[in-house]
Parts: sequence; structure tokens; C-alpha cells
Amino acid sequence: MVRLRDLPDYERKHLLSKNLPPLGPPAWTPLTKSLSELRIALITTAGLHFRDDPAFEFADSTFRPISGNEDANDLVMSHSSVNFDKTGFSEDVNLVFPIDRFRELEAEHKIGSLADVHYSFMGAGLNPEAYEASASQVAGLLKQDKVDAVFLTPV
Amino acid sequence: MTTAISLVRENTETMQPPRALWVSFPLGRPLGKPGDAGFQHRVIAASLDLLTRQAGPVLVDYPEDAPTVDIKTAPACPVSFSKPATDTDTWKAALLNELQTLTPWYDLGRRRRKGRTLVGISNFSMTENLEKLGQLLDDEILPVSELNWFKRAIEDAKVFYLEALTAQPGDYNQEQLQKILWNDTAIGAAILKFNDMFLANTELSSFARIIAPRNVAPRNVPTRTTNKD
Repeated sequence: MVRLRDLPDYERKHLLSKNLPPLGPPAWTPLTKSLSELRIALITTAGLHFRDDPAFEFADSTFRPISGNEDANDLVMSHSSVNFDKTGFSEDVNLVFPIDRFRELEAEHKIGSLADVHYSFMGAGLNPEAYEASASQVAGLLKQDKVDAVFLTPV
Repeated sequence: MTTAISLVRENTETMQPPRALWVSFPLGRPLGKPGDAGFQHRVIAASLDLLTRQAGPVLVDYPEDAPTVDIKTAPACPVSFSKPATDTDTWKAALLNELQTLTPWYDLGRRRRKGRTLVGISNFSMTENLEKLGQLLDDEILPVSELNWFKRAIEDAKVFYLEALTAQPGDYNQEQLQKILWNDTAIGAAILKFNDMFLANTELSSFARIIAPRNVAPRNVPTRTTNKD
């Protein structure tokens, strides 16, 4: 169990320095169909990509597509931080990118379907504004894929 | 519409995304527990439930903590780092000696994980990386023109060591693994030596923060022969 109060003082200050105001006016999209009809994509800021893809730079606002047709066990993580260890992710890709869990939900008809392509950003080193262009691009790609909802994971 | 996992509640409070589920899990573990599909499904279900809310922003605290692992029940470290088998007077020799010791365990772990490994983001082999890192330390040189390679080589090395130390199945105590990495191994000492060198360089001192946690640096690194001696 880790809460902010349990972290070393320098680390707590570092994380609190990332408290930022909302990016803009509140965005709210109401649910218009049942969960069992939703088409869902996964997006993570963990800096995941396949080994052959370019690794993320220290500060990098680009994104990498993660095709649902590829084996997620081949994903690596080029997020650069000393604040977490990667042993859990080494053991189980679903700890950060729960693709198998969502496939199970799809098979059980608890969600409608999974997107053809999921996406990864690398969430260190830049303020949110720096991601505006690439986030807008991904939003367009998600609409093209008829995605209704996105499940977001940090690291 | 989105629903997010939040690891730092305070950040989410101020940024106010539409729907977020705060979890008390350690950084690096947004779904809580590796290899536990039931645990992960409970987290996902709580997060997807936020999609049904009619107004927001919504920030809900997930009630379940990730299980902790008692150090007494965690699998033992398979390697002794206290007595190097061969001459390790130089950093390069010390690192290559550890690589030789750890490789069978890394291979064992990789087979257990059905080929899965996170090693490889540097695009160089562990031997190439450790030889070069050791030589840089023996020559007391910072890789100022190759910082991208350097960071990725360090990341690859840390992952290689941790995957070797966790080769056998079981629930591991993360604090214990980090203590072994930073306090017992030559690679831990090597990274902390680089850390000291970066801290002493006015233009690159901020780089030190991204290679070693501040609560383990500085460490009294072993005195090794360098080419400048």
C-alpha cells in the first residue's frame, strides 16, 4: 500500500509539483448506451511500445499505436523514471495494460467490443499542453475506429 | 468518454478529469497486482462503473489496497553478491562478472515468463552495455554525447537484474529487491558512481535525478582501480 504520505519527502514534493489546474472547461459526455454495447480502447501514459518501434525520448509528446492483433507480451516500456520498479510489469503486461482482462470482458459480453488499435504516450517530462496536438490526432483515430469510451492508465 | 485510473489523488483533484478512480497501489502498478486476474477485474469494474455516472467530474476512491508481501515469505535472492568469483578490480570486470553470474537466472526467468522480457530498449546487448558502462567508469568519463543510450542502457541493466532476481515464481517484496539492487550489486554501485559524477557536473546535475532515487544516493561505492590511478 502506498499513499503520498508514505513516500519520501522529496518524492512527495515532486509529485505535488504536478498539481495543475484543469486544462479547459469541464468536458462531460453522458453514457447513451449500456456498458455491454460500448466499444472500448485502452490508452496508457506508461511509454509502452513494441521492441521494434522507436523508444520514447526523455521528453516526448508523440504516441505509439498498439494493434489489438499483436501480442501484448512483446510490449516494452521506455518510460524513464526512478520512482517505480518494473518487476510487476515484467511479470504481467496486464498490470499496466490490461488487454487480456478487456478481452475477457468482451468474450463475456460485458462490453461491446475492443478497438482495433490502442495507444501509448510517455507521460514524463512535459506539461499536459505539450500533448494537445498528438492527443487530438489520437481522438480522431478513435472516432474513425468508432470507439465509445477509453480506459486510461498511468504508471 | 473516458474513465481513468489515478495513482496520485492530489494531481487528479486539481486537474479534474471527467471520471477517475483513485487507487492506493504503488506507482508502476495501476491495476494493483500482477498475475491476479480477479483483482484486476475488480479494479476495472469499479472504473467502468464510473461511465454510468450522470454528472461529474467524478473522483472515487477504490476501497481495496494491493496486498503487501512479507519479506519473510518472499522467495530468497538466488545470487550472492558478496564474494566475486573472479578478479573484479575494475568496474568493467565487476560488471561483467555479475552479468555472468546473473545470466542463467535471467534466462530461467525469461523461460518461466514464456519469453517475456523488458530488456532491449537500448538496442545493444547486455555485454556491450556493461562493458561500455564499466569502461566509462574506469576512465571516469561521463557519456555526455550519448545520454539517450546511457539512460536506456541503465534501464536495460536494472530490468535485467530484477528479472534475474525474480526468476523463480512467487510474490516478491519490492523494497527488498530495491535494497539488493542498490546496496549489494556492482551495477547499483556503478549507477550511484555515475550519479555522483553527474551531480558534480554543473550542466548535467539534473540528470542525476533520473538515474537513481535520491533516498539511496549517495552510497559509499567500493574503491576500484581506474585508468587514472
